[in-house]
Amino acid sequence: MAAKKSVTIEINSEIRDALIEEGARDAYKCYQCGKCSSICPWFQVGTYEFPVHRLGEETLLGLLASSEEKDELAREVDKIYRCVGCEACIDQCPLGVNIPKILRAARRILVDFGSYPETLKSVVQKLRNVANPLGESPERRGDWSSELNVPNYDSRLEYLYFSGCLPAYDVRLKKVANATVRLLQLAGVTFGILGEKENCCGEAVRRIGAEKVYQELTKRNIEVFNAVGVKKIITTSPHCYTTFKKEYPDFGGVFEVFHITQILARLIVEKKIVPQKAFKKKVVYHDPCTLGRQNSIYEEPRIVLRSIPELELVEVENFNHNLSVCCGAGSGGLWQDWQRDERIAEVRVNQLLATGAEVIAVACPYCLQMFEETIKSMGKTTPVLSVSEILYEACGEVF
Amino acid sequence: MEIVVCIKRVPQTAEAEVKVDPSGRDIVKDRLTFDINEADSYALEQAILLKEKYGGSVTAISLGPAEAEDTLRIALAKGADNALRIKEEDFTPLDGYKTALILYNIIKDLKYNVILTGCIATDDGYSQVGPIIAELLGIPHATLVTELEIKDEKAEVVRELEGGLLERLEINLPALFAVQTGINEPRYASLLAIRRAAKKEIKTLGGADIQGEVKSLSVLEKLYVPPVERRAEILSGSMDEISEKLVQIIKEKGLL
Ligand code: SF4
Ligand code: SF4
Repeated sequence: MAAKKSVTIEINSEIRDALIEEGARDAYKCYQCGKCSSICPWFQVGTYEFPVHRLGEETLLGLLASSEEKDELAREVDKIYRCVGCEACIDQCPLGVNIPKILRAARRILVDFGSYPETLKSVVQKLRNVANPLGESPERRGDWSSELNVPNYDSRLEYLYFSGCLPAYDVRLKKVANATVRLLQLAGVTFGILGEKENCCGEAVRRIGAEKVYQELTKRNIEVFNAVGVKKIITTSPHCYTTFKKEYPDFGGVFEVFHITQILARLIVEKKIVPQKAFKKKVVYHDPCTLGRQNSIYEEPRIVLRSIPELELVEVENFNHNLSVCCGAGSGGLWQDWQRDERIAEVRVNQLLATGAEVIAVACPYCLQMFEETIKSMGKTTPVLSVSEILYEACGEVF
Repeated sequence: MEIVVCIKRVPQTAEAEVKVDPSGRDIVKDRLTFDINEADSYALEQAILLKEKYGGSVTAISLGPAEAEDTLRIALAKGADNALRIKEEDFTPLDGYKTALILYNIIKDLKYNVILTGCIATDDGYSQVGPIIAELLGIPHATLVTELEIKDEKAEVVRELEGGLLERLEINLPALFAVQTGINEPRYASLLAIRRAAKKEIKTLGGADIQGEVKSLSVLEKLYVPPVERRAEILSGSMDEISEKLVQIIKEKGLL
């Protein structure tokens, strides 16, 4: 008979309590059924084992990131930063356990002690310093709009258009902001921007665990919004959308928030935008986690795409709508340098390309950047376009 | 083995927009993040590695404002046994010499076999503090250390020289080593250690604890952003012409 092995685990209630205090209360709900692990994008990546179903228990035992051995601890911290906040686990969990929030509790403590990946430290640094993750100068935040004739927001205008960081600075993403603005102008929507007064919404930095920097940005934005009398906001990014809508109210910032696809779908239904030029391509739409699963905006982007003459809209088999797989950029993932065979984006790109689509349509700046870079690194050339860009082209306009 | 490591809390400026404040002698810091000075974080790791290998204890010292206690707490969480803050507010303004003199006054009464510092601070970039402490204590030192092993009361040290050369030295202990970044891989602090560190005491010392006069040897007059020199030149012509011109310029500048 084989000898029985016994393992002693010391429960550390102090760590458990500290994590609960930082927001990990959901750990109590988990009964380790394992559904989360099987829906997590890392499961599909297959080269990195991410036992999501054990995180709740590890929290309650106070075992999270607590190894006394240097290399093991490095692996544990890496694990805590593997979650890309896609919330597929929450969606599938029978009890709705919020795993990313549990991990965020650990991240907050680690960030306070500078014990988190250097690449993310640099992002936090830049967000605190210049209010964007690219380290670009705040004075140049409005430059993208210089040839577009967009006024600065004042309360006579209906909407504030909040471009977000990547569309404000990134050469490729500026085109998305451009198309968006021109479509709104075409439809006669009155709106303005904040230019250099716009700060990052803080979504990513909060999910990285740098709560203080997040709150600084939030308070600054709310002040700016209130000072110019903002009531309705249109965002390019689902990440800004979700933050303004669900998190700013906790800090006294209550606004009516719209994702650009909601506005465009309405303008199409109201016939204020009528795409007339054919876009004769097979297009697959990728549901961004933060827009779809996290905010139930599934139909609006599809309404826009379906309104375009001769565009053939296709869906990824099985993994569409709430089962869409993350691009891997959320919760700091955009800045992580995981190995080539450990990339969530590649899994998703393969699913998207398997549809035979000629164009990948996205509704989130992160997805766009992630997919474009990944497709390039895979030696492929399929274009990735935002819903706004495709619609703009179908309105007979080119950049 | 008794190890003392000097660490500094500095603003992270590598990727930041840096502006000079109205006094003209400091930078605007309200939008900067602070962390342990990069080279000091390697010095701290080296201290912990030495302790893990040879036993003994690590004392981390920081001459800094109250917030430097955050940095000392990180040191405790990573494995330092004692932490000591010297109140910067009692001594400002500081130059490299005065900083070293104050640290010397404290360290001389501690037990030590090895003293570690970073080889440069990313804020003022003096690179003076380590060597001056060693001189004042009358012990040997090595700077830009990239390898450090202890053998029979002696340290075997590799240090960087110019032009990619390395120098191997054998140094008698006690000694001071100003370590270069990359000498090791700094660790994370675990949640467990962070909780423990939260309860440990950080000793503070101030002006009253230092005997004698400590004076600066230099005064910071003015801080300014170097004027941008417009030296960019765009070469035009065919590929051959451009290459020709380029070679000429390189020769003229004595680069070849
Ligand atoms: S699906 Fe929910 S209950 Fe099941 S293991 Fe995951 S978190 Fe726990
Ligand atoms: S949020 Fe997404 S990445 Fe994070 S654990 Fe859940 S399924 Fe995995």
